[in-house]
Amino acid sequence: MARLVAISGRVFQPLWQALRDWCGDSAYDRYLQAMRRQRDAALLSRKAFYLEQLQRRYSRPSRCC
Amino acid sequence: MQNLLKTLAWIAVAVLGAAALGAIALHRGEALNSTWFVIAAVCCYLVAYRLYSAFISAKLLALDDTRATPAERRDDGRDFVPTNKWVLFGHHFAAIAGPGPLVGPTLAAQFGYLPGTLWLVAGAAFAGCVQDFIILFCSIRRDGKSLGEMAREEVSRRGGFVAQVAVLAILVILLGVVALVVVNALKSSPWATFTLAMTIPIAILIGLYLRYLRPGRVLEASAIGVALVVFVVVAGQWVADSPSWAAAFTLSGVALCFALVAYGFAASALPVWLLLAPRDYLSAFIKAGAIFSLAAGILVVRPHVLMPPLTRFIDGSGPVFAGKIFPFCFITIACGAISGFHSLISSGTTPKMILREGHARFIGYGAMLLESFVGVMAMVAACAMTPGIYFAINSPAAIVGSTPAAAAATISNWGYQLTGQTMTDLARSVGEQTLLNRAGGAPSLAVGMAQIFSSTIGGERLLGIWYHFAIMFEALFILTVLDAGTRVGRFMIQELGGRVWKPFARTSWTPGILLSSALIVGAWGYFLYQGVVDPLGGINSLWPLFGIANQLLAAVALVVATTILMKMDRLRWIWVTLVPTAWLVTITMTASYQKIFDANPRIGFLSYANVLAAQIAAGKIPADKLAETQRLIFNQRLDAVVTVVLAAMVLVLIIEALFQWHALLTRRREHPLHEVPYVATQWPADFTGVAHGTAQGDD
Repeated sequence: MARLVAISGRVFQPLWQALRDWCGDSAYDRYLQAMRRQRDAALLSRKAFYLEQLQRRYSRPSRCC
Repeated sequence: MQNLLKTLAWIAVAVLGAAALGAIALHRGEALNSTWFVIAAVCCYLVAYRLYSAFISAKLLALDDTRATPAERRDDGRDFVPTNKWVLFGHHFAAIAGPGPLVGPTLAAQFGYLPGTLWLVAGAAFAGCVQDFIILFCSIRRDGKSLGEMAREEVSRRGGFVAQVAVLAILVILLGVVALVVVNALKSSPWATFTLAMTIPIAILIGLYLRYLRPGRVLEASAIGVALVVFVVVAGQWVADSPSWAAAFTLSGVALCFALVAYGFAASALPVWLLLAPRDYLSAFIKAGAIFSLAAGILVVRPHVLMPPLTRFIDGSGPVFAGKIFPFCFITIACGAISGFHSLISSGTTPKMILREGHARFIGYGAMLLESFVGVMAMVAACAMTPGIYFAINSPAAIVGSTPAAAAATISNWGYQLTGQTMTDLARSVGEQTLLNRAGGAPSLAVGMAQIFSSTIGGERLLGIWYHFAIMFEALFILTVLDAGTRVGRFMIQELGGRVWKPFARTSWTPGILLSSALIVGAWGYFLYQGVVDPLGGINSLWPLFGIANQLLAAVALVVATTILMKMDRLRWIWVTLVPTAWLVTITMTASYQKIFDANPRIGFLSYANVLAAQIAAGKIPADKLAETQRLIFNQRLDAVVTVVLAAMVLVLIIEALFQWHALLTRRREHPLHEVPYVATQWPADFTGVAHGTAQGDD
């Protein structure tokens, strides 16, 4: 049983993460990772990052016909 | 041995695809099973991807996986985010696939299933995918620069300006015409109007949730939103059944036009987190779900295609829109075969997130193949219904008549059997008062989808729910295009206005926001209103205008791509972009010429204006219709001017490019390539950018 859970976890975890990445759910985590990579402190809170990201995303063509 | 097996497998795929295409093209007599369409399209896509895109990657572009992409060099966790190629494929596909590949093929089905299907498959493989792929490549090599910036740097300053203005013009026409599709789907339909209206408070609710309660938790907020949207689709039936509520949500075309204009203004001027972004999240999930369901439905039900391969309307007398197969089939189906608008996405977010240059093939070429497949499915859904019903839904009242009996008589006379009772029964079974004269593609696609879905789940009983689910799905993501496009248009106007008066460019200055929002909404609102009051149905004049505009932008993108490839000394393979450019210029210029000057008043804007003017002069127009007719004349002339301006802009760009190409070929001048210099990637070869946790090579 435990093995089954582990196997399904291995299968579903990447799928779940892909879904989070696709819809933008994990955007803040990715931002934190990038800041860490650059040995930089995270500059924005989750809320501030969310608002700033929306401003940028919707100022250029993001949805097509 | 393994190579031999692989080669044999690919030969088998090619033979199967050719056989399926042959079956589609040569089939006569009994109805054809839609499985042939799926096999033909998928086999062609596989072969095109395996051979043609590989050839472009290796010979023309020489994609280099050792070169660091902008996502690696400028990784900031905001715009430049290294992203797994499957996830980015999903992102890119969600951005490029809008209502176009659903509406265009549905309208072009009036020629029969064959011309549209062949154009969808061949156009995508040789033109659309090539454009998306090469523009994506060019933008990756330039740190994610936009099409306008690349046109300015690589072609000329004037070229850049033309591209920028062309984008704005296309945006205005696009928004006007997609709004018209929504109006034609919602008018006199309390169920559909209620459902769509309710998506606004649902979006606001999600917006507040994401802003204040759980910032950025998109998945859980979207799950709540999707559940609520499904609920309001069902609740719409109760509204339609209640006389008082139904009256409140039964709106005329003109009333819906003003409602959409007010909505567009609000979405542009309000903070983006409140309405625009949450609606976009909702729409993305529902769009993905509906497209997968349509594909699954077609595969499970395998409906028969009842439309003939070619109809009598290839002669240009089509009721949905007038004009012969050449050039109008290729103009009507823009998205799905080649869409210039995609070049804005390929030079927008995607190049900043791509992990390796090599992924550009899968994402640029592959995502467009998938969009083409969506177009083929829309064609199947439209052609799976009885042709008589298809024409009754999509023809304007001025051509077929406004009562079921009159429409049935006209359409039967064309050779497509239909009774008035069939239309009345069909309307009742999907919960509508009437399905007649709903040009625009959305309702007929919804009927097609509802028939396919209800044969899988629910039968006749759920036909109404499926129909309204399909209408809601189309209208929802058209509104997403509408509000996102309006906002982008607002920024473009502010940027252009800022050149004249600086404060206007400040995107946080309230009077500037209000004025620029009013300008962009007023511009597309005018086209929308013009379409709503047009007795010929609006789609007849506006959809071709949109197709021309979109294909012209594609020509702009391909001219930019050709110039860059020439500078890269890839002359031997330059036909890869040059041939589609020549084809696009030919069809758009022919269509522009015919839309302006053709003697048939249903095709030529000017001749329609002249016919109306002659009627006024002869005193045939009653006094109470005089002002309306004069406005109609003005609108036709305006459309002619818009077409002239669009065509002239592209000619300017092409002439600029021809001078540039001549100078390049004769080596009279050195033209520097504005590529970012080569930097070797630091990522290991097996780095896939798997997003979860810490990516490899992270810490």
